[in-house]
Amino acid sequence: MSRLLLKNREAQDGINGHLKQNYTQHGRYDEDANQEGILWLVSSGDLPEVVRKLRDDSSLAMDRLADLSAYDNIDGVDGVGRFVFFIHLYSSKFHSRMRIKCLVADGEEVPTLTGVWPMANWLERECFDMFGIRFRGHPDMRRILMDERFEGYPLRKEYALEARQQFSDSLPIRMVTESEVSK
Amino acid sequence: METLLKNNLVTPLQDYYNPNVLLNLGPSHPAMHGTLRVMCRVNGETIEDASCEIGYLHRAIEKLAEHKTYHQWIVYTDRLNYCSALANNVGYVMAVEDVMGITITERCMYIRMICLELARVIDHIICVAINALDMGAMTVFWMLYTWREQAYTIIEGMCGMRLTTSYARIGGMAYDLPENFQAEMKTFMEGLPKTLDDVEKLLSANRIWVDRTKDVGILTAEECLGFGLTGPVARASGVDQDLRRDRPYYNYSDLDWDVVVATKGDVYDRYLVRMEEMRQSLKILKQLCAKLPGGSIWTEDSRVLIPKKKDVYEKMEVLIHHFKIFMEGIDVPPGESYRAIEAPNGELGYYVVSRGGPKAWRIKIKSPSLALFQSYEHSIKGAKIPDAIAILGSLNIIAGELDR
Amino acid sequence: MSKDGSSAVFPLTLEYAVRWARKNSLWPMPYGTSCCGIEMMSTLSSTYDLARFGAEVVRFSPRQADLLLVAGTITTKMGPVLRQVYDQMCEPKWVIAMGACSSSGGIFNTYSVLQGIDEIMPVDIYVPGCPPIPEGLIYAIMRLQETIEKGLPRPKAERLTPEQARNAMSYREVITDSIFKDPAKVSLDESFSKSPAPETAKSESTHSKKEG
Repeated sequence: MSRLLLKNREAQDGINGHLKQNYTQHGRYDEDANQEGILWLVSSGDLPEVVRKLRDDSSLAMDRLADLSAYDNIDGVDGVGRFVFFIHLYSSKFHSRMRIKCLVADGEEVPTLTGVWPMANWLERECFDMFGIRFRGHPDMRRILMDERFEGYPLRKEYALEARQQFSDSLPIRMVTESEVSK
Repeated sequence: METLLKNNLVTPLQDYYNPNVLLNLGPSHPAMHGTLRVMCRVNGETIEDASCEIGYLHRAIEKLAEHKTYHQWIVYTDRLNYCSALANNVGYVMAVEDVMGITITERCMYIRMICLELARVIDHIICVAINALDMGAMTVFWMLYTWREQAYTIIEGMCGMRLTTSYARIGGMAYDLPENFQAEMKTFMEGLPKTLDDVEKLLSANRIWVDRTKDVGILTAEECLGFGLTGPVARASGVDQDLRRDRPYYNYSDLDWDVVVATKGDVYDRYLVRMEEMRQSLKILKQLCAKLPGGSIWTEDSRVLIPKKKDVYEKMEVLIHHFKIFMEGIDVPPGESYRAIEAPNGELGYYVVSRGGPKAWRIKIKSPSLALFQSYEHSIKGAKIPDAIAILGSLNIIAGELDR
Repeated sequence: MSKDGSSAVFPLTLEYAVRWARKNSLWPMPYGTSCCGIEMMSTLSSTYDLARFGAEVVRFSPRQADLLLVAGTITTKMGPVLRQVYDQMCEPKWVIAMGACSSSGGIFNTYSVLQGIDEIMPVDIYVPGCPPIPEGLIYAIMRLQETIEKGLPRPKAERLTPEQARNAMSYREVITDSIFKDPAKVSLDESFSKSPAPETAKSESTHSKKEG
């Protein structure tokens, strides 16, 4: 089992308790195998607001984005919605973790977190590349790992593992600020 | 002339004085470590704008996780950060053990900690050596590589492979430590500090090295937080965080060691942090080797216990059990866990989502390199082109982990 | 000139001398993308010291290199880049595919990985292993020197049959027989054209039997 020290266990339990008490209006509370809190957001539109609230709340101080991605929910085990979008947060003050999850329908746009953490930029691009989840307000919403001519989203369950798409040449690299250069 | 200009047959003269020249670095560039690519808009020698391109080593390791059993996927963790494969193995099996609720034995825990620290030492060796090599300091590369080879010999004795180890198993280790392990570790732990001293003598006060690394590629503590940087790079910027101390896993809180923190966050500080971390890791290794307990390396949990070969040949039930583990894979109950370790490059996390059965529903790898390379785009703006090479070496971006 | 001042006679043809020189001054261009790149660095560094085989002058410019050492996974995105590097190299040039990934895709049979670089370029030597140990790479370079010395023709840019690939992976002597046919004996094209078309032969024989 998770071999957290007592000190960390207490801090984590405190965070979990606080989440359970004060954040259930945003969504359901759950715990994982390590007894780390999961907040199931009702609507993805609340995401930036909730994340800012979690960051500024002095008894949580979730100031670091650890990871952001999604997984396929094609069999509907986690509820109605094609994908489960998740982010991991870490509190540098309490050294505790929590997770926000949200069910996202196919084609639904999720608000971007690039305004909160610049790190979210590439992670959201990767999420788009692999699952086809678009992010509203993202400055540069295009593929990151695969070629831009690639069709389909490889981490969706229906995409075959061995379906290769080969191109005979490589695309020229695109500068993000190209429009600014031409001005 | 005017008609020529009108018909776009010649370009007006002022266009030749465009200060915005685009310079492509990589993917096949010696300093770009094979697979990274940066497009720089340069004005003279100064990089005014940069744009990174990744994905040249995207091998679909996360997709493979959904098609392989939990044990089969251990080999893919080796190929994430191939400079410190031992640490990746341990991080992954920890996450799966969390979902299954398995407690490992004391000896197994110590062996895994030795793996983690040995991986840190060899990873830092490669980072410092390559960073120096990129800037022309060939001797450092050769001196440090001698010890990396020594470490490889030890690792080969432990698991039979030099680079891609696949040493950890869910619930235990593939093999116990070899007989000559303590003796070989002793030579390694006594010999490496001398070489580290020599390297510091060569570099730390070297005029060329200092000129090329001091005040180059500075990242502030706020930037580190925003870009989600962890590990030695963040610690060099004064962010006092280390998962080994902050969220201690295994036995780290019982050992005597220090978190290395610098203040400035330039290339020189990152080099100093890495050098000191190697010494701290050797200190931990010394304590671990002294305290190494006896006993079994395998947990008693029958869901994951790989039976002994002798029993497999002699007993029917054990043979069936062995067959089930290897042909079907272990059955992991539904659940999920995010487990992060302090890998040599920073926080390496495995998020395992299981919906029951022998294959994972989704495994997401939180790789420190992705955050590091994203910050690279930002930190080379305003730097010179040779500085960009120095900064890239100091970040230690491993493409296998970056693109996964 | 020999030591006493008399002119020495070298019993060599110029062609052989050129081959001998080429063999002992291979300038590799390391194309290390992943794990194998680290082992390639080990091979080049102090303990294994590739300089013993005259191949330590690492050139990162394809124009100056004559041996392309592809070490590591080549993805579909990287494929065109690698092909361009290969095209930029001047003749004579040789290619070593180091490791399982660049030989056959290895354990990565996925949507983004090229299943062996021989899909896009001819390969002279395949080195098995994931990654190969430095001794493996050194052995491959020695084999390459051997083929250069004998002046054997390069393989065509065609994909190997599974049978040939298996032989290539096991360092068997078959490798020189099936792929590097000795030009003096028979060329690769001839061997294909000379072999009788099996179907027609069979049908003729059955036909004659019926008649009889």
